[in-house]
Amino acid sequence: MPEPAPLPEDVGYYVYGVVPADAGVPDDLRGLDDAAVQLIEVDGIAAAVGEVALDRPPGRRADLMAHSKVVDALADSGVVVPVQFGSVIVDRDSVRDEFLAANGEHFARLLSVLDGTTEFILRATYDEEQVLAEVVREDPTIADLHRHTRDLPPGTPHPDLVRLGELVSAALERKRAYDTDLILATMRPHVLDHVERAGGGVDHLLDVAFLIDRMTTKQFEDTLEGLAEAVHERIRLRLTGPVAPYDFVEGQPWG
Amino acid sequence: MTVQTTQRRGGGYLERPAPSGLADVIEIILDKGIVIDAYVRVSLVGIEILTIDARIVIASVDTYLRFAEATNRLDLYKHGGKDLTEAVGDLQEGGSSKKTSGAIKGVKKAITGGSKDDDEDEGRPAKKSSRRRQSSDA
Repeated sequence: MPEPAPLPEDVGYYVYGVVPADAGVPDDLRGLDDAAVQLIEVDGIAAAVGEVALDRPPGRRADLMAHSKVVDALADSGVVVPVQFGSVIVDRDSVRDEFLAANGEHFARLLSVLDGTTEFILRATYDEEQVLAEVVREDPTIADLHRHTRDLPPGTPHPDLVRLGELVSAALERKRAYDTDLILATMRPHVLDHVERAGGGVDHLLDVAFLIDRMTTKQFEDTLEGLAEAVHERIRLRLTGPVAPYDFVEGQPWG
Repeated sequence: MTVQTTQRRGGGYLERPAPSGLADVIEIILDKGIVIDAYVRVSLVGIEILTIDARIVIASVDTYLRFAEATNRLDLYKHGGKDLTEAVGDLQEGGSSKKTSGAIKGVKKAITGGSKDDDEDEGRPAKKSSRRRQSSDA
């Protein structure tokens, strides 16, 4: 350590994730407050941590970006179990004994499950005009209410307007269920696992995280590309990744 | 780090945005990852910036009005939209064989009911809002 170490009681350890003890951490990898990322290891696994002042103002934007950068860099060079943003442990002993050693088997199992995998996040949204047009076309009651209420000034809580909204919302739910099934059925042969993420809004169709075998990334991407082309008149598909497997480490060892 | 929206293949329909901004990062990492036991953890920072979660839909009158207004805002009848099945059907009938990728076959299979092995142990895909893990040891 080139710089003089701050007093121990002022410094905690910001935890980015858990990696195999022999993980190669890039030398120049720096996280929050530009602190170097180091490994604290026990029995073949290690916590990737950085020193952090315990009295610093928490939760700055730069912190989120730094967290994301470090975790993705660790995922890029191997396998990582991401730890939730903002987790600080007070000293090295606690990192070693109470975090790592106490959950060693769980982490080792997760690391072996996640080894060789990567995550992608797919967001599917409807073309709002297209899908609403479908809804009106397909349901005479909705079409009727639409005709009767379209000239009401916006913001009027007219009962018919509420009824229309309710029916449209329910119709969209059914479309989502149908299209979600179709998308997931198409992707299932190319993914190891998936987790649906929360989403909302009139145009929302599906937000889903996929866990992929790295070796089959190309097939996964090609399949999605074909799907995107097939549905592009009414559905937009956006793919983010690869990212660290943030969505596939649920289930706390102490649950 | 440069911020670019990338599209890997020319003319591709699949959008590949590079996550770069704070919003993207929040979207990806928010509430994700191992939660460290509160006995060990001294802080969980950053909660205050996350009150912007606008993704929750509450089934209220306001929400319904929003749907209704979205519907009525549009001149709907000029849109001759197709549903997913029709779109894929057209693609198949139109002999658009330049892209006979697995996806199309997959979609076709899904539409036509598919072969038995597609469904054997999976059941139906999870519905929205249910979190689901495939592995049997979850």
